[in-house]
Amino acid sequence: MTPDRFETLAEAWGGEVARWPAAEREAAATLMAEQPAWASAILARAGDLDAALDVFAAPRASGALAERIVAGAPKPRAARWVGWLIPVGMGAGLAAACAAGVLVGAQVSAPAAGAASDTDALVTAVSADDFSLYDEDA
Amino acid sequence: MDKGDPDEELVSRVARGDPAAARSLVARKLPRLLSLAGRILGDGAEAEDVAQEAFVRIWKQAPRWTPGTARFDTWLHRVALNLCYDRLRRRRELSYAEPPERPDEGPGPDRGLLAADTGRRVSAALQALPERQREAVVLCHYQELGNIEAAAVMGISVEALESLLGRGRRALRTALIDLKET
Repeated sequence: MTPDRFETLAEAWGGEVARWPAAEREAAATLMAEQPAWASAILARAGDLDAALDVFAAPRASGALAERIVAGAPKPRAARWVGWLIPVGMGAGLAAACAAGVLVGAQVSAPAAGAASDTDALVTAVSADDFSLYDEDA
Repeated sequence: MDKGDPDEELVSRVARGDPAAARSLVARKLPRLLSLAGRILGDGAEAEDVAQEAFVRIWKQAPRWTPGTARFDTWLHRVALNLCYDRLRRRRELSYAEPPERPDEGPGPDRGLLAADTGRRVSAALQALPERQREAVVLCHYQELGNIEAAAVMGISVEALESLLGRGRRALRTALIDLKET
């Protein structure tokens, strides 16, 4: 490595050789061993600029900002399912109620007077429960 | 990348809705995002906005993240830089209508007046650089990205990155020449 190249690298990548491109480090180390005083002066000059840049501190993360951000993170799958399981469950309940109604209706198509009044009461009770549940959550 | 992606496992847990993973990712990346946006924009409040917007994109992207293409951190730096440049573009458009007002985020008050002054000087010198030179200095010096990774974020070769860095740092040295004596 030429001294010019060493200076160019220090100018660009700073005073820490460890942060230079890996392919250049070995040759740089050889030059540093050959001309230690000169190389140290070049690195110290680059290091002065590094130190000056470090004085410009980054904004600090507040706890409130972190909390706001975390609140928007993806939710666990189980929690996401709750959102659509409730309407699906209500739909299933409604379908079951309708099926029960059809079944009961078929059974009472040739009614005896006493039986008809019992099944009517059953259909009314089941349907009323399901529809009231649906209405509350809809 | 040769060493694998150190964020890969955390991102996949975030995608599954693991709240502890989300907190860990925020703890890991929020300071880096604030550092990046704070140095590019020179404004702490805007840096917070950029960090929040970047996380909205992280939350959306996590379930679709495909390991092995780019490192997550590289992708995140690119996203945050784009958000910064959107803001810088808006600033330029606004500055046609009204004089620019650039609040300066210096170091914390506990660092003392001298350090605060120096911090403001460095911030101003950094803001005065052309955008690509500033980006190169911020990625390599403040974000401590490796040269290959920084070049990948900027979409340029390592040689081109070195040229931008050299010019940027020479301009900074000239602007801050008197600091060593103080």
